[in-house]
Amino acid sequence: MATHTLDTLGLKCPQPILKVAATAKELQPGDKLEVIADCHSFPEDIEAWCSRTGKTLIVCAEESDGKYKAQIQF
Amino acid sequence: MNVAISTGGKIVMSKKVAIVCNGVETKNLYPTFILASSAVASGDEVVLFFTPGAAPVLRKGELEKITAKGMPDMKELVEGVQSLGGRILLCELALEAKDMKKEELRDGVEVVGATSFMSDIHDAQITFSF
Repeated sequence: MATHTLDTLGLKCPQPILKVAATAKELQPGDKLEVIADCHSFPEDIEAWCSRTGKTLIVCAEESDGKYKAQIQF
Repeated sequence: MNVAISTGGKIVMSKKVAIVCNGVETKNLYPTFILASSAVASGDEVVLFFTPGAAPVLRKGELEKITAKGMPDMKELVEGVQSLGGRILLCELALEAKDMKKEELRDGVEVVGATSFMSDIHDAQITFSF
């Protein structure tokens, strides 16, 4: 039930999602992943990824000046 | 073959995606690797097929040289595709047509004939050609 953090600031579509997918391989069911991103399409992309892979997107919110923070339940 | 992944009680069906790449320009390579990496990251089975026109870029170190303004890092896209199980196939006709040797190819590239590629992707639900 660990919480992991992934910083994808500066990475362009689809690299943040690639990083999420690579990190996902290391996580266990019950773990939480927090992702920081500033890619414009990130909110829609992470929603689509969670839907495709059966993960729960707890929240994805804009923090400040184009930076997003998403929490994903594994 | 499609795979049913069970995640927290939810069943998710993956798709099979086949992308043909026909050239060595950024307009051929970026769509190929951006869509391939997005698909493979979402759990799809991805097969890329490089025709002779695109073959030279599969020499070791060539894809790493590809850059374009505003575009993501090509090296990371390629590594992402391969590390998540995406396959890169090269048309066997390219070896003679482009004076290439198998030893020159980047790691993980499979040299195949058209028939085995078509057999491989006969159940693909999503196909692209760039």
